[in-house]
Amino acid sequence: MGERIVVDAKGMACPGPITKLVKAYRKAKSGDIIEIYATDPGFKPDLEAWIKRTGNELVEISEEGGVIKAVIKVTAK
Amino acid sequence: MTERILVLGAGPGGLVSANLLALHGYDVTVVEKSEYHLFQPGMLWIAFQGHPPEKYMRPVKDLVKPTVNLVQGKVAEVNLAERTVTLEDGRRLDYDRVIIALGAHLDYDAVPGHSSLVEEFGDYFRGADYAARFWSHFKAMSRGTLVIAAADPLYKCPPAPLKAAFLAAETLRRRGVKDSVSVVLALPFIHEYPSETVAEIVAPKLREAGVEVKTMFTVDSIDAENRVIYSLEGESITYDLAAVIPAHKGPAIRLLPEEARDDDGFIKVDKYTLQIEGYDDAYAVGDCNNAPTSKTGVTAHLGAEVVVERILGFDSRFNGRTNCPIVTDGEASFVISTYDHPPIPVKFSIFKRLLEDAFIASYWSSLRDPEKWSPIFRAYFEATDPSRVGGGW
Ligand SMILES: Cc1cc2nc3c(=O)[nH]c(=O)nc-3n(C[C@H](O)[C@H](O)[C@H](O)COP(=O)(O)OP(=O)(O)OC[C@H]3O[C@@H](n4cnc5c(N)ncnc54)[C@H](O)[C@@H]3O)c2cc1C
Repeated sequence: MGERIVVDAKGMACPGPITKLVKAYRKAKSGDIIEIYATDPGFKPDLEAWIKRTGNELVEISEEGGVIKAVIKVTAK
Repeated sequence: MTERILVLGAGPGGLVSANLLALHGYDVTVVEKSEYHLFQPGMLWIAFQGHPPEKYMRPVKDLVKPTVNLVQGKVAEVNLAERTVTLEDGRRLDYDRVIIALGAHLDYDAVPGHSSLVEEFGDYFRGADYAARFWSHFKAMSRGTLVIAAADPLYKCPPAPLKAAFLAAETLRRRGVKDSVSVVLALPFIHEYPSETVAEIVAPKLREAGVEVKTMFTVDSIDAENRVIYSLEGESITYDLAAVIPAHKGPAIRLLPEEARDDDGFIKVDKYTLQIEGYDDAYAVGDCNNAPTSKTGVTAHLGAEVVVERILGFDSRFNGRTNCPIVTDGEASFVISTYDHPPIPVKFSIFKRLLEDAFIASYWSSLRDPEKWSPIFRAYFEATDPSRVGGGW
């Protein structure tokens, strides 16, 4: 079983939630789950581009009360 | 008895704090490990355009007001509960208040192969000597691939690698070898800049300058022998010459209590007051703190003013303002944002380049005599506040 890494990137405009995601991804191992929360509306398309490039798996993406939650399974490492 | 204030570090954050407090009659002591202050953006001009390093260095003693005590030494430990600072040589200093302004620590060991790369070619972050070493390789380059990349998305002056690419392309063009050297700018971000608004403005300029951009490329390891850089995202680039921005960490000192730092070692502060969480007599200013804004000289300077005003009894608050210049040859734009406002579109113009040249020219004086410049800077920052000029400038 992989680890679950929770990343809180709420309220960060610049340099943005992707920065936090990349930092978490560096530490992650194959099989880990990254759960990230963000409020930056640009995060959704950015995350989709990142998933496409890296080939990791987007398990879940949802939005509630202005907070975007994304669950990523690390499969490309 | 007058309050004893210790200022750790004589970068822009430390110098502005110390000089303003001295003006108001406090007993101020600055501790700095190095004899010279380096204007860090100058490393770009040394590395990519061959400027002499001396142009961007001044003795620290010439940058502090005469009433500031200057201690040359390396801080080893800060104990917030006991209000003591210990230097590497064993000296112990007590304080009534402390302002930590030790900047970011550059970690060349975070990525395998990075230290070999920087020892071989130099770079534009580690110091003026490394920038001069980079120039000695770059000035002789007549073909192949120059790679400008970063080991982590968090580094000081977010436009720095863009400026590096523009200045490199300009030098290659002037030398008549732009067609035989490709300049590859590899960035950890989704677009050409963390903010898409800025990316849209800068992308056509990069195309015009003939810079090839690779996005979502965060350096993961470097094979210095075979000259290949591998990314965390699963790609690789072969280089003939490369400069990689290192991972940034909080200052390399012992800080007690340990909870005063975040995971990367940055000092946890209230983003508005820059006070260290849980201590009303301790502040962290500039690159060493974890305030969610860009790490730049401008934020360090403005943060220092806020801390001084708070010590004087005013309820000043730092709004996270940035003003990062992006220079091409002849033109410039600025990345302007605050905590509450993402970057606004700022068009490239010759006027902004003149403005940036004026900011650079005022640098030494604005550190030693910040009080003389404050009204001018304030007028500029108010006139260009992103909530006022939200539609662009
Ligand atoms: C290539 C490049 C381009 C840049 N361009 C721009 C720009 O255009 N505009 C802009 O605003 N900013 C720019 N910056 C960023 C800017 O230089 C920094 O953000 C700024 O210097 C931060 O100031 P500071 O006072 O927080 O830290 P620093 O300037 O890093 O100062 C920290 C000081 O503490 C001292 N120190 C560290 N550890 C110890 C110790 N243990 N004991 C004693 N002393 C110690 C150091 O010697 C140093 O003097 C650029 C940076 C680089 C590298």
